[in-house]
Amino acid sequence: MLVGFFSWLGDTDWSSGLHGSQYAYSIIESLHVWTLALFFGTVAMFDLRLLGLSMRNVPVSEVVDRLLPWTIAAFAIMVITGSLLFFAIPLRSFQNLFFRFKMILLIAAALNIWLFHARVYPGIAAWDSAAVPPRRVRLAGGISLALWTCIVISGRMIAYNWFDCDRQPQADIINFLTSCVASAPDLASVAGQ
Amino acid sequence: MQKTFAIAACALGFSLSAWAGAAYAHHAFAAEFDANKPVNFKGTITKMEWINPHTWLHVLVKGPNGTAQNWAIEAGTPNVLFRRGFTKQSLLPGTEIVIDGYQAKDGSHRANGRDLTFADGRKLFLGSSGTGAPYELQRTK
Repeated sequence: MLVGFFSWLGDTDWSSGLHGSQYAYSIIESLHVWTLALFFGTVAMFDLRLLGLSMRNVPVSEVVDRLLPWTIAAFAIMVITGSLLFFAIPLRSFQNLFFRFKMILLIAAALNIWLFHARVYPGIAAWDSAAVPPRRVRLAGGISLALWTCIVISGRMIAYNWFDCDRQPQADIINFLTSCVASAPDLASVAGQ
Repeated sequence: MQKTFAIAACALGFSLSAWAGAAYAHHAFAAEFDANKPVNFKGTITKMEWINPHTWLHVLVKGPNGTAQNWAIEAGTPNVLFRRGFTKQSLLPGTEIVIDGYQAKDGSHRANGRDLTFADGRKLFLGSSGTGAPYELQRTK
């Protein structure tokens, strides 16, 4: 079972070493946030172009050519640093309500990207230079902006331990969503987060 | 169009503030702890969790009527404590200490640590700066 696996992973030397590290954890976390700024910044500029709100006289294809390399590079570093942050605190992250919400939103964002590139982008010739692209293009941009905004917020919320397994009692629905097994409340003994 | 722009701007602003917070504090002091519930007690360290983003000190506190309570004290990051001259080995189980801090809002036996005092009078400031903790204020008795 995954809970057992992540519990074991967290006890490995590499994971606990990173969790208790003097510098590595903070450097990785800083990198994650810096590249998030670059990633979200370029995504937002592109999405605003799709919405017809920014760089309206620049062809969409040119915005893609200029911004996408930065978006991809930043995303790659974010995935690596994000995975390392998870690796440092695997079990708590896996059972964190906000982390799970963020993963679901990430899947939705990936789906949106796939739909955009498979269905919307091939027809770009018709609206490349349009100041305000057609409705379905704007829709893709709007959904992307909304999803990434929510992903950033839920990522930030992972730090809050309101729904953590060691804080009982919680509503049954919360314990279900976080796969927590509620035991007798003993708030002081396992407060680490 | 104006409306769409307003919504987009709001979304952008919200997410901007969200990650600006992430850069310097893991969770705000006020989200978890109560500045109006100061705690001060003598205890024995039972465990030191030297972990990011906050270290935790587990302390066994003897109450006035002889009962013992387990308290968990949140402190700065391993890096912050290290810069103040502490290592994993500085706070071994069994060490007698005095803790000054602020209790969790939910009333549980958790507190945000401010000062730790050893039996010989040496002090350690436990807090992490920038969390909004009232660390500059000396508690009046």
